[in-house]
Parts: sequence; C-alpha cells; structure tokens
Amino acid sequence: MNDLDPNPVPSSEGMDRREFLRIGTRLAALWGLGQGMVPSMARGVEWLANGRAPVLWLEGGNCSGCSVSLLNSYPLLPLSLLTKHISLQFHQTISTATGQLAQDVVNTTIQRGGYILVVEGAVPVAIPTACTFGGEPFKDHLLRCAGPAVAVVAVGACASFGGIPAAGANPTGAVDAITFLQDNGISKPFIRIPGCPPHPDWMIGTLVHVIKFGVPPLDSYLRPTKFFGARIHDQCQYRNMPYATKFGDVGCMLGLGCKGPTTRGDCVARGYNGGNYSCLHSLGPCIGCTGPDFGKQQMYNWPPIL
Amino acid sequence: MPQIITIDPITRIEGHLSVKVETTNGVVTAAYAAGESFRGFEAILMGRHPLDAQQITQRICGVCPVEHAISSVLAQDQAYGVTPPTQGLLVRNLAQAANFIQSHIVHFYTLSAIDFIDITAVLQYQGRDAALNYLKAWVQSEISSNNYYPAAPFLPRFDGDYLADLALNLGAIRNYLRALEIRSEASKFCAMFAGKLPHVASLVPGGATPRLTARQIQDALVLIRKIRDFIDTAYVPDVIAVAGGFPQYFTYGRGPANYLSYGVFNENGDGTSKLFPSGVMLNGTLSNLDQSQIREYLGRSWFSSASGMHPYQGETTPDTTKPDAYSWLKAPRYGTNVMQVGPLARVLVSYLRGTNAAINTLVPWLLAQTGRTVADLNSVMGRHATRALECKIIADRCDDWVNALVPGATAFSTFTIPSSAAGMGLTEAARGALGHWMQLTGGLVSRYQCVVPTTWNASPRDELGQPGAMEQSLVGTPIASDTSPIEAVRVVRSFDPCLSCAVH
Repeated sequence: MNDLDPNPVPSSEGMDRREFLRIGTRLAALWGLGQGMVPSMARGVEWLANGRAPVLWLEGGNCSGCSVSLLNSYPLLPLSLLTKHISLQFHQTISTATGQLAQDVVNTTIQRGGYILVVEGAVPVAIPTACTFGGEPFKDHLLRCAGPAVAVVAVGACASFGGIPAAGANPTGAVDAITFLQDNGISKPFIRIPGCPPHPDWMIGTLVHVIKFGVPPLDSYLRPTKFFGARIHDQCQYRNMPYATKFGDVGCMLGLGCKGPTTRGDCVARGYNGGNYSCLHSLGPCIGCTGPDFGKQQMYNWPPIL
Repeated sequence: MPQIITIDPITRIEGHLSVKVETTNGVVTAAYAAGESFRGFEAILMGRHPLDAQQITQRICGVCPVEHAISSVLAQDQAYGVTPPTQGLLVRNLAQAANFIQSHIVHFYTLSAIDFIDITAVLQYQGRDAALNYLKAWVQSEISSNNYYPAAPFLPRFDGDYLADLALNLGAIRNYLRALEIRSEASKFCAMFAGKLPHVASLVPGGATPRLTARQIQDALVLIRKIRDFIDTAYVPDVIAVAGGFPQYFTYGRGPANYLSYGVFNENGDGTSKLFPSGVMLNGTLSNLDQSQIREYLGRSWFSSASGMHPYQGETTPDTTKPDAYSWLKAPRYGTNVMQVGPLARVLVSYLRGTNAAINTLVPWLLAQTGRTVADLNSVMGRHATRALECKIIADRCDDWVNALVPGATAFSTFTIPSSAAGMGLTEAARGALGHWMQLTGGLVSRYQCVVPTTWNASPRDELGQPGAMEQSLVGTPIASDTSPIEAVRVVRSFDPCLSCAVH
C-alpha cells in the first residue's frame, strides 16, 4: 500500500466509505475474521477517524521504543495511522503541543473522557519523582488519566510486565501499569500488548478491535490470543536443525539460551520492519521479550549449554 | 526581577525533559534543564551475565538502541580480548549507520521542522500533488469537525514566526510526509543486518550473528540507494532552505566552543581508522582524546554517590532529598570542561583533522551555501546543518560497506569470558559521544557505567557552578512571548535531546 495514495480524498463531512471498507478488509484479514466482519471493522475505523474514540498515549518509565515501533507500521503507514485510524489527542514524542500547552491538551482530554488510554513504560512506585509529567509524578498522572478512560491498553514489556526497569535490583520499585491500576482500585477493560518493542500490527490491530468489538479474546496474561497464541519455536526455520555451538552457526539456538520454546508471539511469521525480519532471522536467539519474565531471566548462555 | 518561564514537558524529543529559563527584557539570562525520569540501569545490570548487558543497555533508549549495543559489545570485545572479523565490523557499521540515518531524519522532520515550517500552509495548496491534497482535505475536515483539538497531534502549537514562503512550506510539508516513510525504510535497512529495529538481535561480542546471502546484500544495496536519494533531494536541501529562512538562528543557541568526539565507523580491521575520527577541541585547539579525563559531577543531580569520579569508579545511588539538586542527569566533564557532543562536534573534529574527503568538500560547500563561517556553526542552524551533512556522508559510505560484504561469510570470532576483566566501549550515537565502562568479577557484571550524549549536552550545573552546554546555549536567546516560548524550544531541540539515554 502506498501511504501517500490520495484516493479517495476525504470530504469535509468525513472520509470516503470505500476507504473505510478497504482498511476494514485489511484489518479483518489481520485478525483472521471472515468477510462478514468487514463492514463492522470499517465502521470501527470510521469511528476512530471521526474522533469519537480518541486515544491518549502516556509515556512513563520507558525508552520510547514502542512509539518508534508504531511508526514502523507497514500495512498501515504512519500518515494513515495518524489521520485515519487513531485520533491521537496527545503523544509526548509526536505532538506539536509543548510545555503548558501540552498540559492543557492532556487536562482537557481528561475532562472530556471517553478515550482509550495507551500506556508505554513502567510506573516507578518507590521513587514517585523518578518520572514526572508537568511536575506531577507519573503514578498520580496515570491514575488521573485512567479514571475517564473506556479501556486501558498497556503497550510494551515495561507497561505490561515491568520489563527491564523492574528487573534485577528494581531501583525505582517499578511496577507494570495494569498491576498498578488494579492495586489502586481501578477497574477497566485491560489489555497487555507486550514485546520489546511490540510489533506495530499488534498495537494497531488491538486498538481497532477494542473500538469496534470491545476487548478481543485474551489469554491469562491479558494478551490478545490472536497475536500471542503461537509459540516462537514453532515458527523457527532452524528448529529441526543441529544445535548451534556458537553465535553465527546456522542451527537451533537453544544451547545459546534461545527462549523460543517458552515464548509466545507471531513475530517470526509476521516479520518486523515490513519484511522477513526478526531476531531469529538474523540468527539472534529469542530473548523472550513477550513473556512476563523478560528481563528477569538470563538471556544468553555462554559458553553454550549443549 | 527576571521573568521565569517553565516549559514542562518539552515534547518532540525523546524522554522526559523540562526547561526553566529566566528572562530580562525578553532575553534569556539563565537556564535550567532538568531530566525528569530515572530507571536505574546501572544498578539493574549488577550481578548480570555480561552478555545480557548488550540487550539490557539497548532498552535505555528506543531511538538509539543500536549504539548502546555497539558500546556494550565494544566494552566486551576489550574485556574478552576478541577481535571481530571484517564481515562483523561491516555488519556493525551498517546496523549503526542505519540507526543514525533513521534518527537524523526523524529528528529534522518529525521532531524539529514543524517548529519552523508552517504546517497550516497546506490549506493554501492549489496544485495536483496527491499527498498534499490528501493532507489538505484531512486538515479541512478536522477543522470543520467538532473535535476539541482538531488535527491533533499536529495542532495546537506555539504561536510564532513560522516560515512565510508558501512554496517552501509546501515543499517541506511534502517531504515531511515522505520522511515518515523513509525513516521506516532506514529502520528496515537496519533490520536487514540486525533482525529488527528498535532493539536489535544480531550484535554480540566478537562480531555479529548474521550469515548474509547474496540476495540479502543485493536488497540492501537497492534500499540504501532509495534512502540516499531522499537525503540528497529532500533532507539536505530542506535544511539549507529552512536555514535561509531563519538566518538569526545561526546566532542563537551558541554553546561552549568545546567539542568531544570518540570517533565512529570502522574503516580498517583494528579500529584505528574511523570515518569520523576521535578528538577533543577546547576553544578551537584540537587534541587527541584522553578518556581518563572524563569525570561525572553530581553536585546538582539527584544522586548521593561520590562526585567527580571517572566512570570506572562511578556509582549511581538515587537521593531525591538532596538539597539544591534539580535534575536526574549527572554532569559529565572533560577534566572540568563543559563539552558539546553530536554531529556538530563530529563534523568540526573531522574537518580540523582533514582525514575525511567528503567532509573536506561538504563543509566549505555548506558555508558557501549559507554565507556563514565555521564559528557560526555553533548555533541552532549549525547543528541542524551538520547533522544533515553527516547523514549524507554516512549513507553514501553505506553503499561501499554493503558492496564489501561477502555472501555467506562468518561475522563472528569466538571468545571466552574471563572471571575478572574490565573493558570500555567508546563510540558515537546519533546524538554524540557514547561510552560504556564495564567491570566483571566472578564472570558477572560488578560495575557498569554509561556516559551518554545527552548527559553531556543537557547536563545540569556542576560543583564549579558551570551550567551544562544546553543551559549555556539558551542564554542570550530572545523570547517574544512568555506563553509561546518557541525560540527556547528551537534551541533545545537543535541538540536532538534524548532523555532516556541521558539518565538511564
């Protein structure tokens, strides 16, 4: 798809219905839904495009990698994403609004409510000032933003499971966003989209599903089963080959510490960066970035354990 | 009494930064830059298997992960005494170069250009360009909608002296849209050598993991030529055009005339020759890098650890009750000198060394195009322009590195991890000089310190009372409106701040 494709040009009343159908078809395919669901998906996209389902994107103790990954979206390139698929009220890395104006935008969005809250990054609970927005500790900011939200979507390893900030000594007492909200009595539809970073399809596909159908089928970790059902190992082209005995050997990387057999996600089959690319494709062992133990367990074995 | 303007948060940078400026008669007289996020990577790394450091440190930053991986594997190469094969050095060069290219393009178009170009000019577009007509129709439909903030996230914005030239605005907006696509293509170029981006999989001590096929090498060649075309026909000309529209920004944003470059991109097997050489410039005088001069001062930072330590002795213990502290950044100094790092530093050091033929040609070309002197490059526009030139030089050189790859060759040399060892990895990130200092005890990490580009540029004051480079460069900037301090954020963004890196 050419993102700059102008046809059909949106009218002042909104965008052309054929465009919604075209996108709806693609999203239905993305979710493995039948043709019968295409009109519903298209209405979901239209709802987003007309700004009735705004998105507020928060960055806590994070690295912005999830946001960067979102911009790497290929089936729906970034301009389409920002103009057609989400009405992105505020995003710290993208928004033109800065300083007091940025705070005003966020505060107005909170007052109006009814948005999907996306959270990227962990919550430093033990050191509240270890992440602030407009002088407000992130944990207070997150609670204030979560109240009027219709659903909360945690993107990335940190917001989903604590990730690297919560690993080892966990110096800031970092907690994942959903556990933090639950511990503070917030009850909402919650979804985790882990991965470091998550594949852009996982983020966009889930957001559209939330708007049209509500929360998609989730596993026990609140991950959408559509994206996190498959085992990495089962998608690996090296799984039936002799063991690699060092880096760069073409073979099964289990001895080097590969987490493929215990990690779920369709990243290898789907491919990152708009092509046939993934950790395994480059002969890098899976480090288990979609699992709850990511960052806490040792990633590599060296020398290899064979 | 000076007027105080607080800008919190500074958006369209990476991470959490606030800036407070004091103005008298509308001119900045003092500035305070505060990093607002801390995660504690150096403590998280304690006791870990050292190979994990390559993956963990990438998570310091989703915009510069490759450079942290490179720093970490360089530190490990030194600690383990291993030298990668040529193919491994080429794969490292290409992955790192790809990240420079995507980062520079994002920085100019997505993060900075919309402080200068007038994005609402698209409403006046009358031509037949498909993309511009699409954007025009979208903005019109947003404005006529009942959205509280129509055309978010592109509006609202500060009031200011945006570019008035309609044709220039429209051309830049068209390229803003193309840049969104090209930065994804540059990320794909990285994934070809590193598995995925952000957060790469293929970089290890001893080299890299991929076994590239002839087909993959050919694909990379096709892609880098598409990216080079964008840099030559859009990025570099747009920066020159914006510079022409804002000549005063060759005088705003002047920082200390001290520059530091560790050198980057291997041009030979033993790492002694770099595309951009290392060097230190103190008030115009060039000398060789002496890393033992690096110190981190903590006088105004939220840490209780000893101040003024070399990274091999440094520690990172948070203390949120410390009197007079105002930032999570440490204050790195070369000796006691405040240094600027980044493309400006790399280009100036390379230009003075005279070893890079492309720099020797392109710097005089830039000065002629803009009617400026070398000294004028120490400015907002000088930072943007040297970043664009550097992007071109790197992308052009990628073509040669791809052609030097050997299909099927190993990129890895094996190694053993000693029980006790130390190593440092000095390289350059898109934003400037990056170093990792690692020590092992019992085969596990016993100390790990990162000194990161934005830590240099956006540091707080030190014990000597010296403001950081960004703080110094804000002084003297005229601010037309206290509620729309656009001039200040233009100065801040010219450094391409990366706060997740800076504090980590």
